[in-house]
Amino acid sequence: MKKLLLDIYYVWLHELKVVFRDPAVVLLFLIVPLAYPVLYAFLYNNEAVHEVKVIVVDESNSALSREFTRKVDGAADVNVVAHVADMEEAREAVRRKEAYGIIYIPASFSIDLNTAQQTAVLVYSDMSSMLFYKAMLLTCMEVSLEMGADIRVNDMGHGTRAQDASTMEAVDYEWVSFYNVSNGFASFLVPAILILVIQQTLLLGIGTIVGTHNDKKRFTVASHMSEGKNIHPLKLTIGKGFCYSTLYIITSAWVLRVVPYLFNLPQIGDPLTIAVFLFPYILAATFFAMTLSYFCSQREFVMLLVVFTSVPFLFMSGISWPWVSIPPVLKAIAYLLPSTPGIHGFVSINTMGATLSDVWFEYVVLWVQVVVYWALATMMYYWWIDNYDPKYKGKHPSMSKF
Amino acid sequence: MASEKGMWVVFIREWKRILSSKICIWGMIVAPLLTFGLLMYMMSAGLPTKIPIAVVDLDNSLTSRSLVRQLDAFAKTDIKFKSLSFKEARVEMERGKVYGVFTIPRNFAKDAISGNRPKIVFYTNNAFLISGSLLFQDMKTISVLASASVGLRMGEAKGYTQGQLMPILQPISIEAHPIGNPMLNYSVYLNNVLTPGIIFLILAMFTISSFGSEVKMGTGRKFLDLAGGSTVKAIFGKILPYTILFFVLSLFFMSVLYYYNNFPLNSGFFPICFAYLCLILSAQGFGLMLLAVFGNYRLSLSAASLLGMISFSITGFSFPSIAMSPVLYALSFLFPLRHFFLIYVDQALNGIAWQYSAYHYATLLGFFFLGLICMGRVRNFMYENVYEE
Repeated sequence: MKKLLLDIYYVWLHELKVVFRDPAVVLLFLIVPLAYPVLYAFLYNNEAVHEVKVIVVDESNSALSREFTRKVDGAADVNVVAHVADMEEAREAVRRKEAYGIIYIPASFSIDLNTAQQTAVLVYSDMSSMLFYKAMLLTCMEVSLEMGADIRVNDMGHGTRAQDASTMEAVDYEWVSFYNVSNGFASFLVPAILILVIQQTLLLGIGTIVGTHNDKKRFTVASHMSEGKNIHPLKLTIGKGFCYSTLYIITSAWVLRVVPYLFNLPQIGDPLTIAVFLFPYILAATFFAMTLSYFCSQREFVMLLVVFTSVPFLFMSGISWPWVSIPPVLKAIAYLLPSTPGIHGFVSINTMGATLSDVWFEYVVLWVQVVVYWALATMMYYWWIDNYDPKYKGKHPSMSKF
Repeated sequence: MASEKGMWVVFIREWKRILSSKICIWGMIVAPLLTFGLLMYMMSAGLPTKIPIAVVDLDNSLTSRSLVRQLDAFAKTDIKFKSLSFKEARVEMERGKVYGVFTIPRNFAKDAISGNRPKIVFYTNNAFLISGSLLFQDMKTISVLASASVGLRMGEAKGYTQGQLMPILQPISIEAHPIGNPMLNYSVYLNNVLTPGIIFLILAMFTISSFGSEVKMGTGRKFLDLAGGSTVKAIFGKILPYTILFFVLSLFFMSVLYYYNNFPLNSGFFPICFAYLCLILSAQGFGLMLLAVFGNYRLSLSAASLLGMISFSITGFSFPSIAMSPVLYALSFLFPLRHFFLIYVDQALNGIAWQYSAYHYATLLGFFFLGLICMGRVRNFMYENVYEE
């Protein structure tokens, strides 16, 4: 038992030296996790789209239509940049990107309203972003409901104040957006990116280490803790895994605690719960990364191999395309990745304030992944030595020395 | 002699290098196809359907039940729980089982008819912004409808006819015309930009790797020699196979996007096809530039992967660049994908004349020419033939 722990400890120390002697690995393990989350938070930090530029074509040009325009302009999300005479002029302005939408008020607007007929306002939106569309449509809806309520009272005749209020809106409603009160983009996307950054940089860093071992044919460095001393692959995998994980426990304090704090992202989770949840995540991500790392036959190849995966991994986590709408096959594949339960759990705890029992399923899945990927990483180590180390050419390193 | 040296020799040699390398096959053929297939399959529904919600109906009257039925009839909403207390519903939301809660107060029907303005409250989980927004639309529509249907009954009681009432209930209606994407299809919205983004990322990296790997193997000088000592022939012979490969790949992607899936393509095939070609060239130029700037295989590769990944965000197809900090908005124009995105919006969605996009086409080609200007440095990098350390 003592030997087991000592061996793991020495592998751990030895691997730390390997990590810190390679500037490429230091870059991927420390600098990128430090800088990247800040960059992403900065990118999305404005959270919402305000003052979307629109052009108004007001063919009615009446007191009512001007009131409509004024109210739309007064709303936070829309900014009326110009009034033009006809649609063609407005379209040209949109083509020139002077505005992202057109509000068309027909000539009959005021007449219709004054003769108790329904009138329509047309909203054309550039679809380069769904957020432009949303801002314009919601603002116009809001204004039309508000003005509509006033007009309704005029039509139906005034009564007491309470009666008028009831005529304006027989049923009141209220929308409460949970967990992401500002409906912000950063608050929704950045927590998922933070979790993914941890897994992906681990993947890149460990892949670089293995690739470098291959380039330099330093299989003894990879398999020994000191000169001439063989370590059993099971212990080797644990020791190395612990080395990377401990580094990431420090990194993740920055990534998951300080960055959200700096950028005012939602952070209502209990730090202790997050830490407890994070522990298996980092271990699972480490062993997952180690498993894949043995495919990196050269130092630089890890970039070519895995960088693109960030995109499918993020989408498969179900943060943007809802998890319930993801086809079952993809859900199954997604659960092979530590990032999926990691993101689900972290978002639940950090953003939604869940307790550990609420994310118990994800927590257990992560522990299962820890064990499975640890075993796989050990097997992959055999495969790697078998294939790459000239010393072993086809015969497995002894397993009896455990 | 011409057959032993020159651009053609380099060109053929590069094809052999690509086809005999597992990493090239994986990274340039399997990876983009896999990602593309996966994302297209995932979003094949266009809009997420059947997002689960819980309804807390404390009234349980004829009116409230009909309201709940109408809500359930929406494609986007799926009522998963009907008889929970609010507390239970909240717990389900916390567990991620439902994404929204719709509550109808006690005595809803009675209060509505007697003019006491009962209040419907609905909650959405906006930690998942897209699900939250989609549910918000449905639940808001139902709340407004509830108001209208009560108004209808009250109006009828006052002696108005239905024909008279409709304009009174909703005097101003809003007609929305989302230009180019009338179904608000998310697959159109995302995959049209994610796909070229992946192409850009991968191609920029492989452009660097095609030069870097030569230096690493110490064949940099041999390679220059094969081209007959001409820098132009050497560089073009090397990058041309990648241009062809990725153009074929793009043609396949375009056929799936615009032909088989009928995604909007309002200016026809050629403007978008040319945009893809320009993007491919710009990615190669971008790669050459990074290689020239860093003069180091690994560093330029890291830079390409970092910048390639940021492209996805700074391009602004998810969160518009114009709403970002002004510094980032300015910087976004240094990313080729941003220009491709703007071409795509105008040519595929808006369907306007190509002249409006001319500046962006020119910028994409500009990235390629900037890369060519750096050719001399890349040649020196190959000639020095020194791998790091």
